[in-house]
Amino acid sequence: MGEKENRNGLNGRYSRQIPILGVEGQEKIRQARVLIAGAGGLGSVIALYLAAAGIGFIRLVDHDRVDSSNLNRQILHWSGDINQPKTASAEKKLLALNPQISLEIDSGTIDESSVSVFAGDVDLIVDAMDNFPTRYLLNRAAVARRIPFFHGAVRGFYGQAATILPGRTACLRCIFPEGPPAETSPIVGATCGVIGSIQATEVIKYLSGKGTPLGKLLFWDGLHGEMDGIDISRNPSCIDCGPFAVGGEGT
Amino acid sequence: MKVTVRAFAHLRDILGKELEIELPEGETIRGLLAALGESHGGFQEALFDGPGQLKPLNNILKNGRNIDFLDQLETQIGDGDVIALFPPAAGG
Ligand SMILES: [Zn+2]
Repeated sequence: MGEKENRNGLNGRYSRQIPILGVEGQEKIRQARVLIAGAGGLGSVIALYLAAAGIGFIRLVDHDRVDSSNLNRQILHWSGDINQPKTASAEKKLLALNPQISLEIDSGTIDESSVSVFAGDVDLIVDAMDNFPTRYLLNRAAVARRIPFFHGAVRGFYGQAATILPGRTACLRCIFPEGPPAETSPIVGATCGVIGSIQATEVIKYLSGKGTPLGKLLFWDGLHGEMDGIDISRNPSCIDCGPFAVGGEGT
Repeated sequence: MKVTVRAFAHLRDILGKELEIELPEGETIRGLLAALGESHGGFQEALFDGPGQLKPLNNILKNGRNIDFLDQLETQIGDGDVIALFPPAAGG
């Protein structure tokens, strides 16, 4: 079909999702600007599905290089990419998959001072980090800008996901006041596939205006093959989204 | 009063997925955990580092609210409350 595809994709690349999302939904996706924070296990899955879905602009940030220990789960990176920056490795695959998207890669580090730049001109943030301190920075940036934050995390056969809509739902800090201690998490690669796919689904739903956002903390137990929703609610005195939060919304 | 406990990840291996427990009126989270520790071997070790010292790996939610924001272990439980014991994942 090449890139002379029908602009709406009715006969081509997007022909199997437009019946679900609508031409308008597809157009909203095409106009969307998304930050994916991390190009590891979750980021690989999220970036592949969002690029394939035709998200117009993707900013993918990761400061790591590909290591052989990544290859059981980080499906954007292959054996020949070892020692390459993850962003360069990701760019090769994502643009080969869908040259229609605009992809911005950045090998910088997400920290206190850079987070507002990375999050400054996007419609939403997808959490594909491997640590809670950076997740909290992203959570705070999302709350400050009142843009959604799609949380995901994995460990072993377990994973969790939550869709955080500032002003409407609990934020990451309301759910987890403190992250678990830093560790090198054991991870079964397919767990990243489950959780990353849920996050990508939530993003596509949100952008195209379909369905209802995930309203609970979703917990995936791969060992039992079960998924559960855990009730979550806002903490009125949350340091990140409550009235006393610096740059918070003051509700 | 009756309280529902939902356990996730490795805590499920100890407690089972969900259980109902009968507690005296006005019991606290601390009392609930002690009762669970008596009835389920390995629970105490999974949850605490030392006496009264919760491992940072564990989150306890009462009806969706993290007890960190309530009265921590002294948080009072009421009839019909749902307590979730949840060790969050952090990897990506
Ligand atoms: Zn909050």
